[in-house]
Amino acid sequence: MKRFSLICVLLFGAVLLYGSMDFPAFGDPESPASRHLSPYYIKNAIKDTAVPNLVTAVLADYRGYDTLFETAVIFTAGLACFLLLRRFRREPPEFRLYRHIDTGVTLIIEQGGKEPTDSNEFQQIDSQWVPYDLIIQKAAGLVVPFLQLFALYVIAHGHHSPGGGFQGGVIFGATLILMAISNDLRSTIRRVSEAVSSKLASTGVLIYAGIGALCLILGANFLNYSQLSKLIHVSSVMARSHGILLIEIGVGLAVAAVMVWIYYNLVSAGRHDEGL
Amino acid sequence: MISIVSMILIVSGLIFFAGGAVGILRFPDFYTRLHPAGKLDTMGLFMTLSGMALYVLTDFSLAALLTALKIMLIVVFIFITSPTATHSIADAGMRSGLPHWSRDQKESE
Repeated sequence: MKRFSLICVLLFGAVLLYGSMDFPAFGDPESPASRHLSPYYIKNAIKDTAVPNLVTAVLADYRGYDTLFETAVIFTAGLACFLLLRRFRREPPEFRLYRHIDTGVTLIIEQGGKEPTDSNEFQQIDSQWVPYDLIIQKAAGLVVPFLQLFALYVIAHGHHSPGGGFQGGVIFGATLILMAISNDLRSTIRRVSEAVSSKLASTGVLIYAGIGALCLILGANFLNYSQLSKLIHVSSVMARSHGILLIEIGVGLAVAAVMVWIYYNLVSAGRHDEGL
Repeated sequence: MISIVSMILIVSGLIFFAGGAVGILRFPDFYTRLHPAGKLDTMGLFMTLSGMALYVLTDFSLAALLTALKIMLIVVFIFITSPTATHSIADAGMRSGLPHWSRDQKESE
């Protein structure tokens, strides 16, 4: 069987290599892509969409379907992680650890014992407990707000500078993961719960598809944002620019939420009680 | 005049980078290698980036000032995060029980 699959792989590799011999050379100015497609984008992107960053214009407008399904793929990845990893039946652990904050004494409470609630006096800690590091905690706390502001900037400014929904969303998701690493998983889940992150992920995809459908309702093709000028009183060119901004917000929401969602499931083995 | 100063800054930053790279390759163990890595991140970047900020300021305008300010902001954030990262990596090494290098230990092997 192994030999057979090896032969298959080699055969298909040879066929693919043979097929690639007809391709135009790398960077060939006479290749079909650089004769029709790229010059069209370069000449018309600003005229059509009023977006100086051509990459954003191509990704979000000319090839909006592509990006819509990319966002759907990311959402599906989050969903797949959830379905594979999440444990719905909570088997209680043998013991839980609580720390008395004032004295630093750690209590081991075995199954069936009375557990104190999280408060100013007691705090639940992980079973593989790592003492809190003041330096890391404070440095992360110092950096996180700036990073989140930067993430919003990257999303909102995606027309004009490098960036957009995907990058901004990744940065935003990373800040939440940084909070979970530098403090603990529970405190982050208290801020952004699993329900919130999953709902935000689907909302992001819904925003994107919904804007496309809105264009359809207004009497244009799917994702043809110029028809949005009927709702917001701007020219049809500016309407395309604003449409790109709106779907970028959707993409950013979806990416950030999916990243956090996957992290929660992976790091706690689907139990969402303790983790890295 | 400013460009000469910025050039000196950039070159001395590059010296830090070169020293850091040599250190990462040549030092014997994890902890000692972290030391040049942290140095090159903070000191090398501080010098090269402040040299670049100065170079931008040669034609004095609001846009140039803004660019220089942004470059210096990068420096500020690296100053906060890079030593923290080094600290946490070294901490993780200690916690997972990685012994530090010593001369006797090497001879006994």
